[in-house]
Amino acid sequence: MADLSVNLCGVTLKNPVIPASGTFGFGREFDEIYDISCLGGVATKGIALTPWGGNPVPRIAESRGVILNAVGLQNPGVEKFIAEDLAWLKGKTRVIANVVGRTIEDYEGVCERLNGLVDFLELNISCPNVRCGGMAFGIRPENIGEVTARAKAKCPSTPLIVKLSPNVESIPRNAQAAERGGADALSLVNTFTGLAIDIERRRPILANNTGGVSGAGIKPIAVRMVYEAAHAVSIPVIGMGGITCAEDAVEFLMAGAVAVQVGTQNFTDTRACPKIIAGLNEWCDVHGVKAVSELTDTLKLN
Amino acid sequence: MREITATVLENKRIADEIYSLTFAAEEEIAVRPGQFVMVGVGGFPLRRPIAVCKAEGERITVCYRLKGGGTRALAREYKTGEKLSVLLPLGNGFYVKESEKKVAVVGGGVGIFPLISAIRAYSKSKQVYAYMGFRSRASVCMEFDMTRGEKLVIATDDGSVGFHGTSVQAFMQDVDEIKPDVVLACGPTPMLRALKSAMHGRNIPVYVSLEERMGCGIGACLVCVCEKTDGAHARVCKDGPVFEINDVVL
Repeated sequence: MADLSVNLCGVTLKNPVIPASGTFGFGREFDEIYDISCLGGVATKGIALTPWGGNPVPRIAESRGVILNAVGLQNPGVEKFIAEDLAWLKGKTRVIANVVGRTIEDYEGVCERLNGLVDFLELNISCPNVRCGGMAFGIRPENIGEVTARAKAKCPSTPLIVKLSPNVESIPRNAQAAERGGADALSLVNTFTGLAIDIERRRPILANNTGGVSGAGIKPIAVRMVYEAAHAVSIPVIGMGGITCAEDAVEFLMAGAVAVQVGTQNFTDTRACPKIIAGLNEWCDVHGVKAVSELTDTLKLN
Repeated sequence: MREITATVLENKRIADEIYSLTFAAEEEIAVRPGQFVMVGVGGFPLRRPIAVCKAEGERITVCYRLKGGGTRALAREYKTGEKLSVLLPLGNGFYVKESEKKVAVVGGGVGIFPLISAIRAYSKSKQVYAYMGFRSRASVCMEFDMTRGEKLVIATDDGSVGFHGTSVQAFMQDVDEIKPDVVLACGPTPMLRALKSAMHGRNIPVYVSLEERMGCGIGACLVCVCEKTDGAHARVCKDGPVFEINDVVL
């Protein structure tokens, strides 16, 4: 039995496996299938200052080994989250509140409201599916630095994770911009902007035209980007992108991640996260690894 | 709601592009009429949402149309004895009040299959009138399971069998005579729109089961929303798939 616990910004997670934002709601639905207190934490659905309606449907499409989504950050708003879900979720596991906004003031407002109430805040400046806000803040290093600094000023008591977009020129430069802005940790990658076409109708499948690509097919690109980010900064990195099993998670840890998030696989296999946790324990035992945290950043390049 | 590993008992073509899949769960599962399942297909990241047609103890039958790669793989690769990952039972299902004795069901296309579960459930204690629309004779299937009620009208677009026209047209010819207490409907959106306008002002509740592309199927991902008439978004998988026809924008 390996020690699966990890330390993220001074907070202990019982294991490094966290369902990724947007695939898991606030945890209640999955808790009907399995007890989610087994998870290292839960990254919530994106939370805005006020309720958002999201994009028209269809919001999802599938391609070989991947899916595309364009939900558009539909969410009930921060007050409803606090009133209805926060206490319940905190009683289960570590809460990583994913924060979305259309303006910097939106991000500031949510961070201020949740400061001290959650275990982590995760700044989503990388959603490709909303017109303003979202990824608009996460492309250029100077914007990343500004939104991070202003958000961090509002949440001095809660570690701030900045979630990075892969749709950028330089992962290392953006990672460093977030670190300089005061980020306590990074998470990456969000989804890749993609287009899926219904060739009979000669139209995009998604109502939003483009959507974010996720799933097993993006994993090697994500692992490379996590490696680049982890080696550009000194703050911890949470890795994600196409993880379907414990061995995938081990790759991200070796590339430099302290913890991992699992997204699309929650749709393919509702019990994906507990299976990955069990699989990590088994992998460590078979390989004589006493603590999963020993795996982080152990990759040696050829 | 749970995730099970089921065993395929039968997976066969029953009409043009339509397959009937019967699987056995590990134990008896209570499924309400109008509920659905999410079936995992190996190699595809998303499960396929399919309405339950029949539920008899641990034996459950769903019917699906060959639509894309996933349903084709489901038809091709899941033979008798194969294991199948299934999430079930999902959604709210139809709900008919004790006092509602006359039930009309109006279906079209693959929308007829969830209505078969309603016919099976309600024909024991109520009068059920069924209006089922198909493209043509080649697509007619499961007639035996539709004949349990008081009346069955088969409608075809080309008139090759039964009523020449849509199931809505056939139903509207009879509605004043049968005076249903409630109408249950499922089918393509244009059909549901036609039913909505035809039933407008009649003061008979109409419940429709909607279809949408889904992610998780359990209400977490907010992918499969429909617009409600009050402007809010409802989750088809969790708040639906059945809605009162005047509550949703079609």
